Amino acid sequence: MSAPEPTVRTADGDVIRLEHVSRVYQVGESEVRALDDVSLTITRGELTALMGPSGSGKSTMLNVLGCLDTPTSGAYILEGEAVQSLSEDRLAEVRQKRIGFIFQSYHLVGRMTAARNVELPLIFAGVEPRVRREKVRVALESVGLAHRIQHRPDQLSGGERQRVAIARAMVMEPSILLADEPTGNLDARSGEEIVALLERLNRGGLTIVLVTHDPRVASHARRVLRMRDGQIVEE
Amino acid sequence: MRRRDLIELAYETLRLHRLRTGLTLAAIAIGVTAVLLLSALGDAAKAYVVREFAGVGSNLVIVVPGRIETSGMPAQGGTTRDLTLEDTEALERRAPAVRRAAPMSMGTGPIEYGGRSRDIRVLGSTSIFIEVRKLALTSGRFLPAGDPRQGDRVVVIGQKVARELFQGENPLGKLVRIAQWRFRVIGVLAPKGISIGIDYDDLVIVPVAVGLKMFDQTSLFRILSEAVSPAVVPAAQDQVKAILKERHDDDEDFTLITQNAMLKTFGAVIDALTAGLAGIAAISLAVAGIGIMNVMLVSVSERSNEVGLLKALGARRRQILEVFLAEALMLSSGGALIGIIVGLIAIAVAAGIWTFIPLRPSYGWMALVMVLAIVFGVTFGLMPARRAASLNAADALRGRH
Repeated sequence: MSAPEPTVRTADGDVIRLEHVSRVYQVGESEVRALDDVSLTITRGELTALMGPSGSGKSTMLNVLGCLDTPTSGAYILEGEAVQSLSEDRLAEVRQKRIGFIFQSYHLVGRMTAARNVELPLIFAGVEPRVRREKVRVALESVGLAHRIQHRPDQLSGGERQRVAIARAMVMEPSILLADEPTGNLDARSGEEIVALLERLNRGGLTIVLVTHDPRVASHARRVLRMRDGQIVEE
Repeated sequence: MRRRDLIELAYETLRLHRLRTGLTLAAIAIGVTAVLLLSALGDAAKAYVVREFAGVGSNLVIVVPGRIETSGMPAQGGTTRDLTLEDTEALERRAPAVRRAAPMSMGTGPIEYGGRSRDIRVLGSTSIFIEVRKLALTSGRFLPAGDPRQGDRVVVIGQKVARELFQGENPLGKLVRIAQWRFRVIGVLAPKGISIGIDYDDLVIVPVAVGLKMFDQTSLFRILSEAVSPAVVPAAQDQVKAILKERHDDDEDFTLITQNAMLKTFGAVIDALTAGLAGIAAISLAVAGIGIMNVMLVSVSERSNEVGLLKALGARRRQILEVFLAEALMLSSGGALIGIIVGLIAIAVAAGIWTFIPLRPSYGWMALVMVLAIVFGVTFGLMPARRAASLNAADALRGRH
């Protein structure tokens, strides 16, 4: 970690600030620079689309933003806190309280009902069962699935599954939602519904970064970043 | 995370894989049942032996000719002097802690009556033998008192001998031939059964002088010296040793046996046996533990996706570890509980069938096996749980690990 530690808090408007961030993987003899000296600022309430061919570093970018991966060098300031050198447990806490994830393949736990899936982050956060039930109900209602609470993932359509995943991502009230190809497995109509739901959340003040291949999805974003070879090449 | 949530999460997973869970539970239960059953058998064997040796009489000091080391091998060097009637008398006369001493000879020869013949053990002793050995008579009388160096040709016969040789006839007063010597039957022993290796139902008792002469023996088989009370047995032992040593040219060419010493020796042997049995059973428990580990490893690799997700949702390393450990612990303690219940039933059934064996479940073993199961659950569950906890979240979510 050669990057200088920032001593000044960033302006309140900046949710995410990357300063000369690189992420280098060692693959056998050769080095792969998945992120190559990237600097980026995202302000609160932005809806940002991240596009680019596969292997361009989108996923690594999302992992770093989501604190699932740490930069090899450079600084990552999340809501004013330098998180690039936090311990594993502190990073888990950051993910728990500030970051929501949704994935192309939903990542719902198959043996659990919609309600139980949404409850999971609350369980690991040690929230009381009574409070949990209420929060789960509200979260599922807000994605329009109040009637599907006791259904298991295999009893739900793709669009419904992604909405359960969104409810789960939102139940801890994060400040950022990171979405990895959220419509990638959905038909056009379900995809539009999910995008509409994300837009609605965004209008409520949520900062969203979404990775997509689909230009129509990206067109909903006010800001589109294109990546190639680990760098942001176009904005 | 709340403990109840942990248990619920673990239970949900175990319930989903019913067959796998059931088989693992069964493996542990079998191990636990085996430990309980085998240890109960060992304990029962010990209780049985203790009961048998209690029949020796707690105030007897038995003298055996020859030096018998605890290893069971005769000591090196030296000759063994005969154990004689004079020795017996000396003990009675000179040892204050010894109330009386009964000599005992032993031989085997054919006994004949009315054309029927069979081999029989011939025990020679004196009139006090009946009291020292706590025997009783169903009819007639025991050997008459008198000089032990003299002896009439009279015999007291055991129950089985009376039954088989006389077949309903009254044996009292009848003449029998034992090893070509003619004896008159004067008494019949009450049933006693086997006590320290001698079947008192299947022998005859003759005056010791006659017994020695019949088989051309110079040494007694045993001297049974009876201490004044159980409390002075150690003192009696010392006195008997000193007197006999003096009479045997200061050579300890004999061995003293007491009920306590026998109980101790046999108790140690049976304890070792029980430990061996329990050890074998514990191996099956260990195998079951490896079964837990295997199931948990499969579970972890099947659910690496889920582990990645939980990490993305903010689960700490320690929490992931706990989720998997909870599963392993529920498997092991659940299996142990089933095993204990099955073991208790099996012991109850076995005790009902073999009523002569004092089979009883041991709470000590139950506690031990429960602790073992939990220890195995933790130790064998820890490695897979660690593996789960240390998965890289980003890789696990993408199915690379």
